[in-house]
Order: sequence, then structure tokens, then C-alpha cells
Amino acid sequence: MKHIIYTIAALFFFAISVNAQEDSWEKWGPTKGLKSGGFIARAGYVIGGTTPLPLPAEVRKINGFRPRGGVSLGIDGYRMFSKRWGISAGAHFFWEGFHTDADVKNYYVWLEQEGEITKGYFTGTNVTNTEMWGVTLPLLATFRMSPRWNVSAGPYLSLYFDQTFSGEVYDNSEGIGYLREDKPTGTKILMSRENPTPYPDNFPEKMQPVAVGIEIAFDWKAMKHLNVFGLLDWGMTDIWDRNFEAITFKMYPIYATLGVAYRY
Amino acid sequence: MALAAVPILLASCIPAEEPNTECDIEAVSLHLESPTDIFYHDYDTMQTVISTETDIEFTIRSYANVQSIPTTLRITEGATAYIKSADGTDVPFLNGSAVDFSNEKVQRFHIVSEDKAWSRDYTISVVHEAPSEGNLFFDFESYALDASGKYYVWDAPEVFTDGQWKNGNPGFKISKSSAKPLEYPSTPVANGGPDGSACIKLETCDTGPFGRMVNMRIASGSLFNGIFDVGNALTDALKATQFGTPYLHKPVMLRAWLSYEPGSVFQDRDGNTVEGVIDEPDVYVVFYRNEDAEGNKVQLDGNDVLSSPYIVGLGRLPHNYNADGTDQLSANPIHGLTNQWQEVTIPVEYRAELDANILQNKGYSLIIGFASSWGGAHFKGAIGSKFLIDNVQLFCE
Repeated sequence: MKHIIYTIAALFFFAISVNAQEDSWEKWGPTKGLKSGGFIARAGYVIGGTTPLPLPAEVRKINGFRPRGGVSLGIDGYRMFSKRWGISAGAHFFWEGFHTDADVKNYYVWLEQEGEITKGYFTGTNVTNTEMWGVTLPLLATFRMSPRWNVSAGPYLSLYFDQTFSGEVYDNSEGIGYLREDKPTGTKILMSRENPTPYPDNFPEKMQPVAVGIEIAFDWKAMKHLNVFGLLDWGMTDIWDRNFEAITFKMYPIYATLGVAYRY
Repeated sequence: MALAAVPILLASCIPAEEPNTECDIEAVSLHLESPTDIFYHDYDTMQTVISTETDIEFTIRSYANVQSIPTTLRITEGATAYIKSADGTDVPFLNGSAVDFSNEKVQRFHIVSEDKAWSRDYTISVVHEAPSEGNLFFDFESYALDASGKYYVWDAPEVFTDGQWKNGNPGFKISKSSAKPLEYPSTPVANGGPDGSACIKLETCDTGPFGRMVNMRIASGSLFNGIFDVGNALTDALKATQFGTPYLHKPVMLRAWLSYEPGSVFQDRDGNTVEGVIDEPDVYVVFYRNEDAEGNKVQLDGNDVLSSPYIVGLGRLPHNYNADGTDQLSANPIHGLTNQWQEVTIPVEYRAELDANILQNKGYSLIIGFASSWGGAHFKGAIGSKFLIDNVQLFCE
């Protein structure tokens, strides 16, 4: 993970030092002329999370965050209509996810398994792990800001091939961990890290197979064929089925990709 | 480095904390100059209150009298305590102020959460020790659904905590919300007794998907006196069963009508079938010293109910034991029970002479316990093991 970041940074600075003096609009595409098209193959490192927005007041403290997966490979095709304007469409295959460990207070949970229901308000530590495999199909307007900078923005559709969502609850670092059954005055059921209570394994079944959002991508022309890029996929649709009661707030996937791209 | 920044970044988005919604009395203390003139133990002046309890009773010596006692409540942070005056209005309660507990007066308290949206009502009273001859008889005719309407509860003599028998039903309710009252591990059987009246049935039950999730796959039917603290059911199930009630008489023998039918497949904690083991019921009478040398309360629970060094007298249904005294699972149980009713006598054997002075001062506690799977505390047993119990008699010296 760290290697990738360092590699990208090194490439970035290397590119600046080599090519700083000969900026030229023509160099955006190896294909002749400015009103033409081409392809960009991208490889990147994905980091982000799936989160309620804004964070609900039930979340009191983030104790830890670790990305999981973090690979994106894709190809975009673009067509320029003028010196500055064009469109771009592509397919980015990804494997992304994260792990968080958060202290929560009065967090409403509603767990259902085989017709048995446990629900109430949880206070303590909540650990979540999620991973997603899929493909994102962006359709972007692309704008050349300068001979070296290009920005693209537009909607995208993500299709998920597989998703996991697991976690567990237990007591926080102060030893506080309990569920109030049904309501804040209900039976107080203690939870501890010696015997953590896992999420039911049916959570992934309640996840939406598609997501829609907005992508914004910055490309920086580093070499004749090489771009350094950063893009953000901001999910606008809840990852959960509408009728999923276990989690009362909507959660959105927000993932950034940093990487290098090869222009044909 | 970049990743370490993420939690800090997220931390900056965390909204302000909302006020607490809970409104519990967590503990009550009464302040007296010399507590043991009134109470049996120093520790009797302080009670921790479990989340399911709303009627808090302090028991004092039968001849003692109290007037107003300075009282301290420990309540949820941010909550406000009120005491109801005679005309029913709420008066803010200040910790340490004197409360009139004379003549077993029941004082009502109202606790309001910090966010003002929730409240709970409690009663606190100081009652005299219920008179008791020592001998007890239980026919299990007096039972009713609990306040939630989900499972049955049985009346017990007032000398038992809360005047009720305790069992694991409240824990089963957490794991199997869909169960009907007669599908719980401890249930009444109308006309099921040897005399044609009601008896009690303890049955080892499957705890369903949530039970599997926390590796507590079965629930043995149980019946005992003391406290069932359902709050501990998930973290430390052995601690949930707090056995025993202080008792003024020396038990010598238990007699009961019993019948037993083991379930067909014995399983270990992980749910694996164990071949060649037949499930066994358990019955025990334990008499134990309830105070240590420093005057602290001794409370037996599932960890040491049959092994604590504070036990002075013990009677138990016959079982096979390993050489080191631990329970031996076997294909040949020796308890002698069948699926036909029979009267069984269990004598209490004493390891030491009782101290008459300690006995008179409630320094010993009595446990009467029954289970449909003797390994049930460790979630071992056979689903479907059925233990019928009726007409239990305790004889005291």
C-alpha cells in the first residue's frame, strides 16, 4: 500500500522535472489533431469508505480505519469535440473496501435471522468490515484546463459482482458495551470483547447490486503516454435495500482512486 | 501517514453528542450509623439494581424498626431523580436526603432521562424479614405470564428473592423472540403432576440462530432461587445465575416428585454430537456462607455453585464423577429417574458444623436448583431433555 503511494509520488515529481519546459496542447494525444479520440488505460489504488453522511450523532469516535482491497483497473475511451471539450466513457474494475472500529452511543440496531428478531439501542464499540468487487461505468464530460491538466466529471453506474459486510459489537475501551432491548428503558444486555456479538451473516443479501453516483477525475500529463490521475467516486445511492431495517441511516460509498494511466 | 489522517479527518465530522436517553437507578444506598442493628449484614445497606428490576426492597431484621434514612441513588448520568410526595407530585430528590421508610412504607421514585424523552418509575421500601418455620413446600400451582407476556413465572415463598422462582427464560427471550410462552425452557404443565394438578417442566431447547451466533446453542430448563441477571446472559452466562437467598434455618433434606426423559442426541458447546453420552438432569440443595472474612458479600453463581469453598452443606442427585471430582459424561447415568413419576429424597451432607450465631444472623444462604441438562450452564446437553418436577419439600432442622 505504502509502496504504491510512494511510487505514484516519485513518478509525479520525476514527470515534473523532465517535462516542465515543453508543455504543448498537441501532446495530449498521440493521435493527430486536437479534435480526435483515444484510449486511456488506468491502474490505481483505491481508498475510501462507505459511510452515512453526515456522520450521525450516534457515532462518537473513530478508533481505527483501514482500507481493504484497493485495486482498480480500467479503460476509458474519449473523444474531443474541440481543443478543450470532449466526452469520456469507460469501465473501471475495482476491489475496494475498508475496516472501521468506532465507538457508538445509542445506535439503533435491528437484527433479523430466520424470523428471530433482536433490536434495540447499542452503546459500545462497533467494528465493520466491507469489501466490494465490481465495475464502475462512468460517462463524463472532459475539459482540458491547460496543456497538462485535464478534468472530467459526470455520472457513473457501479455494478457489484460480490459484496461482503460483516462486523461485531462489544465493549469500548472504558468497558462500556450494552444493548438496551427495544427502547432505552428496556433490558440492558451487556456485551464484551471476550465474547463479541457478530453481525448476522445475512447483511450482504440486503445490499443493493448497483450504485449511482458522480465521478470527478483529474489527469495530469506527465509524459508522452503517461498520465498521473486522481479520481473520486461519490455514491449518491444508499448501499442498503430500502426495506432493510437493521441500519436506520443511509450509507454511501465514497472512494478515491490514485494511479497512473497510459494513453494510446 | 495518509491513512492515519483519515480517522482524524472523520473525527472532525463527528456531530455533538446527544443527551442520554437512559434513566435507570443503578444502585441504592441507605446510610445508617450501625447497620447490623437493623440489617443482617453491612452489605445489605447497598443494592445494585439490575436493569429489569423496578421494585427495590431492603430486608431488615423482623424486630427492627426504621424511620427516615438518608438515601443515595446512583442514576444514569444526566438523568434527574424525583420522589413522589403523598399527593402524587414529583419533588426533585437530592442524594443524601432522608426518606421515610417507617412501617414498610413504599416510596415511589421517578427518574427522567437527560433528553427528557424517557422515564422510569421505581419503588423503594424497607421490609421486615418474612417469618419462616424453615420447612418449605412448593406445588408449582401459582404461575402467571411475566409483564412482557412472553414467558411464565412462578411464585415462591417471600423468603426467596422477589418471592419468585428464577430461571433462564428471560435469556431465552433474547435469542428466540418468536417463541410462544409454552415453547420456553421452563414451562408449567396444567394437570401434569403426579396428583393431577399442575407441575413444572424443564426442557432443554434450541436457542436458534442468535444462540448459534454467540455459541450458546442450547438453553437448559432451569429453576432456582436467587437472581437471574439477564444482562450477563451474553457476556458471562455463568454469572447471570446468582444462586441463593440468605436463610435462617439449616436444611437437611429435599424431597421431590420427579420424572425425566433425556433428549436423543447429546451435543457439546460447539453443537457437535457426542456419541455414547446420555443427558442427565440435576437437582441440588446448597447451603453456603454468604460473607467472607472481610465482611464482603459472597455470591455463588454458575462458576462455583457446586464447588465454592464457601459451601458448608450439599445435597445433589447422584451422578458419575471423574477422579478429580469433575462431572463425568457417561452412557450410564445413575440418577435413577425414569419417564415415570417417582418420589426422590436428597439428603444434605455437611462438611462442617454450622455456627448457630452466624445462622441466626442470616450468614448462610440456601440454594435449591433444578436443571434439565446438568451441563446446561456450559451449553452442553441434549435438545428435548424433559424434566418434570412437582411437590418439592425442603426439611430443615
